[in-house]
Amino acid sequence: MRRWSVITLAVAVGLVTPWVAFAHHGGAAFDNGKTAVLKGTVVEWIYSNPHCLLRLDVKGEDGKVVQWIAEGQAPNVIFPGGYRKDTFKVGDVVTVTVEPVKNNEPMGRILQTVLANGKVLGRASSAGSDEAIQRR
Amino acid sequence: MANLFRTFSIGLVVVASGLQAGTFAQTTSPGGWLTPDWGMPAITTATRKPAPRRNLEGTWAPFGRFGGGTQAGGVQAKPNNGRPENQLPYTPFGLALYKSHKALEGADAVKPADGNDPRNLCEPLGMPRTNHYNLGLTQIFQDDHKVAVLYQYDNRWRVIWTDGRQLPTLVDGGVELGGELREQRLFGYSVGRWVDDYTFEARTIGTMSEDRAWLDSTGRPISDQVRVTETFKRIGLDEMEWSETIDDPKVYSKPWETMKFTMRLHDPRTDIMEYYCSPIDQANYNKVFANTVSK
Repeated sequence: MRRWSVITLAVAVGLVTPWVAFAHHGGAAFDNGKTAVLKGTVVEWIYSNPHCLLRLDVKGEDGKVVQWIAEGQAPNVIFPGGYRKDTFKVGDVVTVTVEPVKNNEPMGRILQTVLANGKVLGRASSAGSDEAIQRR
Repeated sequence: MANLFRTFSIGLVVVASGLQAGTFAQTTSPGGWLTPDWGMPAITTATRKPAPRRNLEGTWAPFGRFGGGTQAGGVQAKPNNGRPENQLPYTPFGLALYKSHKALEGADAVKPADGNDPRNLCEPLGMPRTNHYNLGLTQIFQDDHKVAVLYQYDNRWRVIWTDGRQLPTLVDGGVELGGELREQRLFGYSVGRWVDDYTFEARTIGTMSEDRAWLDSTGRPISDQVRVTETFKRIGLDEMEWSETIDDPKVYSKPWETMKFTMRLHDPRTDIMEYYCSPIDQANYNKVFANTVSK
């Protein structure tokens, strides 16, 4: 099992924004109820359908760098939450809270983002439907 | 097609200039490109304005916060969450069909790489699934002959004829129209009528066969024998109830209601972002993310 030495694994309840459960990839791959807080350097930000993808280099306590891929919803879904095509720039140091996948690959879906300037995304208008909230 | 878009344009002008005037506090966004306003105040008895007669036009979205029409967990009225009250009246054929579907959502969800949802091949959703897949900002235009519904997802649209024509006859493999066998259609054949000045009923038949279409993202099935009845009930200037019932004796032993959304009218100038399925983007996403998380 990969060691997420730089991340805090915590129970998600009350900690992060409810996920917007927009259909098309489902939640079966994610470890529901857990979160991982990643502080890392942006490598790539793909602002595209069906999902936006953020590549992030995260350095562990052992000094090793692990590249994470954090998934966001489609542009129109995350737009109200403040995510734009230029939200992440290569080299930015950001903190991203994700719900990790079950199989311990360094992947997850974005629950919240703290940008380099301290701005928090995902807390307000990423709020999902009641249905989505009920699922969490 | 040109006539249709001319109609749309006329409808848009009418809506923008007359019916909705003064309704929206939202003014402009940078460059005049309005973004959706998900923070509109709730409508109360005191603020409710009378509905226009025989008019569905406008830009609508499910009431409340952004994402209210997602239905990732199954059709709105019957989410696929395993609860007894949401069990469906499957026929033996319908149940077998459901079990053959490997959905990425719902009570029996599988991992992304294991699914067989035709949507993930970017197959058009068709009717009635288009009403159950991320139902977002939805534009409705009408003229003396038809009502047109424009969906945000995949920039799809369909026409409901209101000029008095009758539904074709549903037959195996398609519909009978004027003595001819006509093809099945993704969005079927739809006609509508005003039940009263504020209630519009649309009926649809002649949709695609069950190997091409699902009812929802949890793999509930639908067949080409389905009869879809939708009701659009205008309950105020800014509110409309949109409900749907399906009658599909091949798959379900009795008709049942799939959704009843209260829709909120949005500023007709709202710019609607694209939200689509692209085979290239989907393949890239699968390569970068979905296939790995499915291991």
